[in-house]
Amino acid sequence: MNRLQMSAADLARAVKNREVSAAENVQASIARIEEVEGRVHALLTPLFDRALEKAAQIDQKVGKGEDPGPLAGVPVIVKDNLCMRGLKTTCGSRMLENWRPPYDASTVRFMEEAGAVILGKANMDEFAMGSSTENSAFFPTLNPWDLDRVPGGSSGGSAASVACGYAPLALGSDTGGSIRQPAAFCGVYGLKPTYGLISRYGLVAFASSLDQVGPFSRSVEDLALVLNVLAKPDPADATSSRRERPDFMTFLGKENLKGLRVGVVSEFEAYPVQPEIKEAMERVQNILREAGARFSCVNLPTTIEAGLPCYYIIAPAEASSNLARYDGVRYGLSVEARNLGDLYMKTRGRGFGAEVKRRILTGTYVLSSGYYDAYYLVALKARTKISREFKEAFQDVDMLLMPTTPTLPFRQGENVEDPIQMYLGDVFTLPVNLASLPGLSLNAGYSKTGLPVGIQLVGPQWGEGTLLAAAEAVERVLGKPACAFGGV
Amino acid sequence: MAVGEEEVRHIALLARLHVTDQETEPLQRHLNDILEHFERLKGLDLVNVDPFAREDLDATPWREDVACSWEGREEALSEAPVRDGDFFRVPRILEGNDE
Repeated sequence: MNRLQMSAADLARAVKNREVSAAENVQASIARIEEVEGRVHALLTPLFDRALEKAAQIDQKVGKGEDPGPLAGVPVIVKDNLCMRGLKTTCGSRMLENWRPPYDASTVRFMEEAGAVILGKANMDEFAMGSSTENSAFFPTLNPWDLDRVPGGSSGGSAASVACGYAPLALGSDTGGSIRQPAAFCGVYGLKPTYGLISRYGLVAFASSLDQVGPFSRSVEDLALVLNVLAKPDPADATSSRRERPDFMTFLGKENLKGLRVGVVSEFEAYPVQPEIKEAMERVQNILREAGARFSCVNLPTTIEAGLPCYYIIAPAEASSNLARYDGVRYGLSVEARNLGDLYMKTRGRGFGAEVKRRILTGTYVLSSGYYDAYYLVALKARTKISREFKEAFQDVDMLLMPTTPTLPFRQGENVEDPIQMYLGDVFTLPVNLASLPGLSLNAGYSKTGLPVGIQLVGPQWGEGTLLAAAEAVERVLGKPACAFGGV
Repeated sequence: MAVGEEEVRHIALLARLHVTDQETEPLQRHLNDILEHFERLKGLDLVNVDPFAREDLDATPWREDVACSWEGREEALSEAPVRDGDFFRVPRILEGNDE
């Protein structure tokens, strides 16, 4: 098999068994990046020299008979809002164009301790605000299956990297769908974990009650493998849960799904989605039923009615507070000014792009005196209600099956002039963040025009294992997602 | 309850965000569009719903209140746009005569 199509699990096994060296893995990835990056534009900062050094260290370990870790010599791409000490971490923003953080994100550290080799930092919508990677202050990333279309966002660079075969794994972050939607658009797996499963330390904050780090891959086994590496309690993140994590590999290899109760959301069934997505829903439903799952309908009336406005109040409110730190004083862009107030105004006016400004203003508005009760407080109450609605639904079912997105990947520029149209595409993903649930997007085939179609599995909190087992059952029938060799 | 241009400027000032004249009109339009969308929340029955009931989350864990060392101090300071020894230097806070 072509090395670029190999899973992380197989690559790590091959490195451990000395069938291949970490350095060879990294060189193959670099060659692939050099071949197609000029067309896809997935990376902001390549880290090739550092990666070759790290790979040499792994190979030394293997040579000495030491344990090189579960991800030994596996190339990985990391979204550019995860801090790496001394290396540029831009968040896709002019504000942080030259910023070098003085510490590593915990997830970066966990990956490197497990033997993974980070090849580069991936492009993203500025401060993770967007659904197409067109909001990157530097350049847009293109969809590797159709270069006229967007890869999704905000983790578009990470998703495109895995789809192109740069690496079998990438890290992204998901505040309202920013892992699952680009995974769907690029035809790979993307997992947004339960809030608190994976540390947020060193993830540049967007909306702290919604943000989670998670992986992209082209195999279910790799999702389990990387969850075992990432899902550790972290004292550096106050919201990192201390509960004991299972061995996620134990959820794999199930003979069938007998006893699994899957819910289909009546309100989502009635929501207008493109026919290819409806067909993919039926395809996955049939596979799961064939594997022994039982289906029933559940109702989430508040979620469908209030999810979108609730999210677009809470997320900008938190963002307006989190992004107050970019003031031109301690790090990042600083514009010369005659007094301190002027320094804040000018630096922020110049450093932030249009979408970030829209969200900061929306967030400031809903938190401002006189409007807090009418908007922010109402949204918080709606969030409670949405969480309860999901909780009730999960008394009758173990998992929900829903589309990841209402549409196939859209064209570059199609939604740029209409931000609210762009927001509407998040209708199936953002309730999952509001209720702190895990969601997994899997590739359920391709449209007639060759575009990937994603379907989403949503579990109760800490229900990642169920999602992995169900995704594996689908993978057994449909096969592992392919690399986008055709598109590029 | 449409948001006017003056209010956009006021919100921008609260956010310490300079917006140009060209930016104001589209921002105003966007704010009004999104506020209209938020009207959908008005129909919900939210009587007796606790806004802070994050019963879905694990309790925030406690940890020992112990100091630990951090080696990033010099690196952090070196990112300062204007540094003065171990301090971040900022322009004057109040307008006044230059000395």
